[in-house]
Amino acid sequence: MSQNQTSRGNKIKVNKVDTFIQILIYLIVILFCLAILLPCLNVLVLSFNDGKDAARGGIWFWPRVFTLDNFKEVFKDGSIMTAYGISIARTVIGTFLSLMVTTLAGFALKQKDLPGNKLITVLITFTMLFSGGMIPTYIQYRNLHLLNSFWVYVVPSLVSVTYLLMVRTFFEGIPDSLEESAKLDGCGYFQTYLRIMLPLSKPVIAVVGLYTAVNHWNDWFAGAFYMNNSDMWPVQTVLQNMLTKSMSQQQQITSVAQALAHNAVSTTTDSLKMAAVVVTTVPILCVYPFVQKYFAQGAMIGAVKG
Amino acid sequence: MLAVSTAKKKKYKPPKTPLKKRLIKYWPLYVMLIPCIVYYVLVCYVPMAGSVLAFKDYSFKKGIWGSPWVGFQYFQTFFQSYDAPRLIRNTLTIGVIKCILEFPFAIILALLLNELRNMKFKKVSQTITYLPHFLSSVIIVTMLQKILAPNTGILNQFIDLLGGDGSTFFLMEPDYFYQILFSMDLWRNIGWDSIMYLAAISSVDVALYEAAEMDGCGKLKKMWHITLPGIRGTIGILFIMGVGGILSSGVDQIYLLRTPGNMTLADTLDIYVLRVGLQGGQFGYATAIGLIQGLVGLVLVVVCNRICRKMTEVSLW
Repeated sequence: MSQNQTSRGNKIKVNKVDTFIQILIYLIVILFCLAILLPCLNVLVLSFNDGKDAARGGIWFWPRVFTLDNFKEVFKDGSIMTAYGISIARTVIGTFLSLMVTTLAGFALKQKDLPGNKLITVLITFTMLFSGGMIPTYIQYRNLHLLNSFWVYVVPSLVSVTYLLMVRTFFEGIPDSLEESAKLDGCGYFQTYLRIMLPLSKPVIAVVGLYTAVNHWNDWFAGAFYMNNSDMWPVQTVLQNMLTKSMSQQQQITSVAQALAHNAVSTTTDSLKMAAVVVTTVPILCVYPFVQKYFAQGAMIGAVKG
Repeated sequence: MLAVSTAKKKKYKPPKTPLKKRLIKYWPLYVMLIPCIVYYVLVCYVPMAGSVLAFKDYSFKKGIWGSPWVGFQYFQTFFQSYDAPRLIRNTLTIGVIKCILEFPFAIILALLLNELRNMKFKKVSQTITYLPHFLSSVIIVTMLQKILAPNTGILNQFIDLLGGDGSTFFLMEPDYFYQILFSMDLWRNIGWDSIMYLAAISSVDVALYEAAEMDGCGKLKKMWHITLPGIRGTIGILFIMGVGGILSSGVDQIYLLRTPGNMTLADTLDIYVLRVGLQGGQFGYATAIGLIQGLVGLVLVVVCNRICRKMTEVSLW
């Protein structure tokens, strides 16, 4: 009897502690979400605020002097618009070609008794662990005449090991009987790929396509180091150039007064930069909530097996 | 890649069709593989072979193969140079910050998210925490520059509000460099990294929790005694993969975060290769440094994998 009571007493104590922990967990998660959202909100607000006014400081999460001028400036700037075009072109072309090559290879490697399958898979996976390094890669791009051409945005990221394995794993989950019945109906391998495999693997194609597209959209490195012609830069490289310049301009600033003076001069470029950041991020933000489910699923497909 | 190797039972294997027959049967598949193979040969394996440049005096006219050999000269120069200890120290520090200090946070976040009972709230918070993963480093650092700006940035304004000195130039102070890097990287990746752990947690046997509840375990005890051991396989694999990258902390963020103020700390091997090689044109020397990085990374992964397999029976291969 007494034992029973103490155990019940324990249970109540445990329950109390648990409620407390539960509240604490909610609080931590809310705080963390705020830590992610508030900086973004601040930047968004700054992009809608008058540049000169923002330089006085005191802007938190609501614009003080609302204006659309920053965005008008950004869209008027020819170089940013060209950069946009380049970004869109590389995203569309790059994603399409990547998907084509990846699904073709995934389809071939799905066939377990394909002679050389294991060797090819091992050799491909090895590139994840070891790579030739920056300089030999650069020289190779030069030898392939990729430098300073549009294709330097597309070719280097054509196939990714992770995505290839994801696609292959997904293909392996499609019943063989479908393939066999297609064969009986007179489909060759290519027909099977086109008519059976691709339509059935829309989920994985969507996921891999979205990942690839995001990577293309976000990449600034190729533009900065493999492309001398600034008219051919994607929008991220243009932003990076602005950023690097302003980071090194901070060199001259040693005192607070100088920092203030510096800020006062570059107000418009600062607010322009915020507007450019917003404009560059919006495409991702527009798509993101709708496809987030697929993104997370994709991370798990990759986790299942390789 | 993430294969959990378990003791394989011997399966009955149907006799294979002869190689020749299979080759003939599958030839269209080889045609389909061609673009992929060409890609890996040209973009990955030729540069890998090009690493011999580390032992050669590169001249543009003669190409990689025609250039004369110089032996281990570059390695010697590097290790004797004034820069080497600093570069290695910086690289290791940043690597440890990114691969080891940040490592537990994603697990903690996954544990927290797993405890959320309100499904709508859980979904929204997941959506929010994954978000920064899809912003480019350029965007993030540009935002950071604004937020940390002296006097007008919100962080400094907040410090001002609390009565502190709101004029700190965070990005120029070497003292804050590691903190900034750590928080930025965490901010960006923690949500995304937690996905794997969440998936692993969801596959832990529910009966175990019920049994623990019978024994009077509270939430924390359940987390510690059931959830964590249940996902140790995933933790192990992600740790191995992380350790391999300890020497290649990425050009991406650090190149962008560099200011004249933190230059001494932000100079890592990657940045050095970029500076000396791509911008300075010393191809052989830079290749040698890149090669050291790559080899050390490879060795680290292999060693960690072996240790992990011994300890937890979980490994990459």
